[in-house]
Amino acid sequence: MSAHGSIIDCHVHPTAARGDGPAACAAEMLRYADRMGIEWQGLSLGPVFIQQPTEDEIVADNDFIAEMIELHPDRFFGYANLNPNLLFHSLREIDERIANGPFVGIKLWVALCCNHANVDAICERAAELRAPILQHTFFRAGGNLAGESSPADVAALASRHPEVTFIAAHAGLNWERGIRAVADQPNVCVDTCGFDPEAGFTEMAVQWLGAERVLYGSDAAGRSFASQLAKVHGADISDDDKRLILSGNMRRVLAL
Amino acid sequence: MNRTIIDCNANLGSWPFRRTSYNTPEDLLERIGRVGITQAWVTSLDAVVLKNVAAANAPLAEAVAEHDALRAVGTVNPSWPQWERDVAECAELGMIGVRVNPNYQAWLPTDPIFGELLSAAGELGLFVELTVRMTDERHHHPLMMVPPVALGGLLDLCARHQETTIMVANANNAQVLGVARDAAGPLPERLYFEMSHIESVGGVQAVADQIGVEHLLFGTHAPYYYPEAATLKVFDECDFSEAELEALTHGNAEGLLAAR
Ligand SMILES: [Zn+2]
Repeated sequence: MSAHGSIIDCHVHPTAARGDGPAACAAEMLRYADRMGIEWQGLSLGPVFIQQPTEDEIVADNDFIAEMIELHPDRFFGYANLNPNLLFHSLREIDERIANGPFVGIKLWVALCCNHANVDAICERAAELRAPILQHTFFRAGGNLAGESSPADVAALASRHPEVTFIAAHAGLNWERGIRAVADQPNVCVDTCGFDPEAGFTEMAVQWLGAERVLYGSDAAGRSFASQLAKVHGADISDDDKRLILSGNMRRVLAL
Repeated sequence: MNRTIIDCNANLGSWPFRRTSYNTPEDLLERIGRVGITQAWVTSLDAVVLKNVAAANAPLAEAVAEHDALRAVGTVNPSWPQWERDVAECAELGMIGVRVNPNYQAWLPTDPIFGELLSAAGELGLFVELTVRMTDERHHHPLMMVPPVALGGLLDLCARHQETTIMVANANNAQVLGVARDAAGPLPERLYFEMSHIESVGGVQAVADQIGVEHLLFGTHAPYYYPEAATLKVFDECDFSEAELEALTHGNAEGLLAAR
């Protein structure tokens, strides 16, 4: 094993890192990842978060990530950011970014709730390419945003596409509810990222889903790698379960 | 390495919206001890949503009495009659400070009562902990959504109450940096921020660079949070000098107590 550990962070946005451009951004993300023992970072949503991106904005965003991957193909992998409202463009991006490489998965944020038929079309192509789908999910207090998906939406989508692996990001934030919402859908995993290091989360996720369906992710750079790693390192679960969450499961999802 | 680490933001008791483990003095000390924390300042979780918040103070003092590693921070609500008696009781109970939750107690830090509390606490040698949130607003109970405390006006209060030490707890990067921006220079000497809610990659160091490490206190928000979050952020992710680590982990906290 190399000097940096073997942890896979399945959910990273190279956004808030100091340093402009893909090269400087990559160097900054790797500097901190090295300190935390993180070998691989799954990238999506580059310098700018845009809720309803245009075709040009999608292309620019994915180009930024592609450049980072090209610079460090042994440290970064990518999820192609799509706006499912732009279905034909989304399918073309899948072909250009995933079928032709180097991207390995799909990132869906808050442009369109994943209960929409457009997302089914994206899933059908993802199944052919064996590409996992990282879907932002919240059960937001006071109600979700217009295009925001909940873990229940992902579970319903996943039941129609059993051959695709879905990652319900943030476990819905309101994680006690989110974990329950995906519990009966075996092709849905949750990630640990993007919410406060609230004790009990990882224990409940492992109890309800099995450690095999829990993935370490950070939501860096907006979140700290460290605060999100704490959810795994600090959980009252077995060391074997921690190893699965920190890397074993993602190796399986990506068929590494 | 035997470093003194003081957790300035730990909790005991029950939180009404979630079961918490490690919430007795013995269990908390064991849990934070696993990551090397040697002392903790504790508040009562129950007191956040009690109506008569002061009912939690004597039990908290009693709970920590047998544990040298724990120091109690009482809770007061200055919008209630006779709050002065509660502050005095906290001092008599040997507490080191008093915590307020303006958002759960339905008043604003800009209300005149907060200034009165700052004066009263300062005179009794108690610091005042201003807690801006307890949990992420985005997953609050649907029937009890509590917005965070706004920190506008804080610098004015510090200027008018230089005799009182203020610790802001559970503030996030934007809130801390907002105060630093408003200050447009060094922060008031007796104003401190606790770091449990500081996020982003290398964020604790970035915030320390902005506000001065001498204004930052180590805190976990345990056992509600995994205490590893604080230690991993400070010791692993950031690249503090030894002097900065000494200040952050205990020097600042000890200085705060000595100066009360
Ligand atoms: Zn994210």
